[in-house]
Amino acid sequence: MSSVPLQAYLIVALILFCIGLFGALTKRNTIIVLICIELMLNAVNLNLVAFSKFGASANITGQVFSLFTITIAAAEVAVGMAILIAFYRNKRTVNIDEMNTLKE
Amino acid sequence: MDLKTLLSFEWGMMAPEFTILIVAVILSLIDLFGKDSIKKYIPSFAVAGIGLALIFLLFQYGHEEVSILYDTYIFDSFAFSFKFILLIGTLLIFFMVLSKQKDEEITDRGEYVYLLLSALLGTMMMASSGDLITLFVGLELLSLSSYIMVAMRKRNKRANEGAMKYIINGGIATAFTLFGMSYIYGISGTTKLVDISREMSSALGTTEPIATVGFIILFVGLAFKISSVPFHMWTPDVYEGAATPVSAFLSVVSKAAGFVIIIRLFVTIFNTGVEGNETLYSSMIGFVAILAILSMLIGNIIALRQRNMKRLIAYSSIGHAGYILIPIVSLSAMTLENVWFYLLAYSFMTIGAFMVIYILEQSEKSEDISIFTGLFQRSPVLAISMTIFLLSLAGIPGTAGFIGKFNIFVGAISADPAQYILVGVMAVATVISYLYYFNILIQMFIRQPEFEGRRTVNKMQAVPLIACITGTIVLGIFPFIALNFFS
Repeated sequence: MSSVPLQAYLIVALILFCIGLFGALTKRNTIIVLICIELMLNAVNLNLVAFSKFGASANITGQVFSLFTITIAAAEVAVGMAILIAFYRNKRTVNIDEMNTLKE
Repeated sequence: MDLKTLLSFEWGMMAPEFTILIVAVILSLIDLFGKDSIKKYIPSFAVAGIGLALIFLLFQYGHEEVSILYDTYIFDSFAFSFKFILLIGTLLIFFMVLSKQKDEEITDRGEYVYLLLSALLGTMMMASSGDLITLFVGLELLSLSSYIMVAMRKRNKRANEGAMKYIINGGIATAFTLFGMSYIYGISGTTKLVDISREMSSALGTTEPIATVGFIILFVGLAFKISSVPFHMWTPDVYEGAATPVSAFLSVVSKAAGFVIIIRLFVTIFNTGVEGNETLYSSMIGFVAILAILSMLIGNIIALRQRNMKRLIAYSSIGHAGYILIPIVSLSAMTLENVWFYLLAYSFMTIGAFMVIYILEQSEKSEDISIFTGLFQRSPVLAISMTIFLLSLAGIPGTAGFIGKFNIFVGAISADPAQYILVGVMAVATVISYLYYFNILIQMFIRQPEFEGRRTVNKMQAVPLIACITGTIVLGIFPFIALNFFS
């Protein structure tokens, strides 16, 4: 067994999640924002797999859950890209700060 | 698992879900390979499918609790009553879709229909799932279908933009929800809700901080679906960008599903404790209460300065999400009943208001509040129906909205401890909401019309209108019909 404790994995996952959240909230380019969301979802996978291996009651369910997460994350990013392409055709830009026609 | 155990499950309990699934698959095949002469009946087929699912569901009325597939699918009275709201809401929205025979902006009408059905399937799976994984898959089935439905008017710039904002917000919310779920899995070692609540009821000890963090993150993520603070900013943009029936779907069915998942998770997982011990939920109630207060105030105050009707309804729906959070904060025996009744009343009045906006938006080609000017002279029928819906949304006695608010009010006061602050804020928020609801009434009855000509309501448009008016008034005068049905 490895000697890396559970806490280390959890901290890495938390850092990944925070980087992803920061990027998703601040970046201008929509593609980078979508990738940052993927980063947040991967932090979740890391959490699940770490708990499933080193958790208080380790079992396989966490790994099954992470398979579902990966699949759905892929579907989500596919839909996101499709919407982005439709947006790009109309406005010729992928920048978030140009999505400002809907305002009060 | 061999064939024998597979057959021993009571599959009949899933009949409503199977109906929706089969209808959605058949319709997508017809849309791919069918002739145009058949294709134009696709929405009618979908209505028939939902009607069939509703009949199957009503046959299960009073059925004892069943759990199949190793507790991942639960049928109980909670699942039954909320699935009823989801099916009724979607049925009304399909009548809205049917009322418009030709749509220049949405050319792929078939896709629109089966995406609505698959979103409905997701919400129904959420209502009766007993496992974090099925709960999450149902949630994402709903989310992904709604993203595409919002983006359906692909040549419309506002629709593109609304959809893009929706999917970015939704993706972040999904990540939050999952992160919370992963912590809950970590401390309990299982994804089954029954087992999690058993683990949580024993002393948490050193894992309590993780459970608290998991609780907060999960709640923040799920606040996206019910469009309450802190994930409320997408609501006005998406409602404005999406086609009106889709906005109605998001504000009614999607929101009801959000409340279903919140009640299922928080009330079953976190609220089980050893007798006399404080549960995690009761120690976190202040957090939920703050979100409820902020939603009520922000939604109703920002709605005051909206001129676009769909944005106005969007902000008012943020306020309503705050109202419905109150019974969840003041947990008592009445909580489920109050949430259920309010959601049912809310579906009728909101879909009705969206239907009136939809009819006017088609004839005037505008969504501005000025489409209501002098409506009473141009079309008394529309003006009176809109009046009923607005009075109900504002909570005036005699309408379903009043009974819903009254129940929440009484429930919060009689809860232990009584939530006087929440009740006070709710009263203030309701008074604020009178300002913008009654402003529309002034436009309809007092202002001179800015648009020429009379507006008539055709037969197809009358169906959802009459259904919503009946629902709003009957529930307002005889609320015990619905309440008896619930219990």
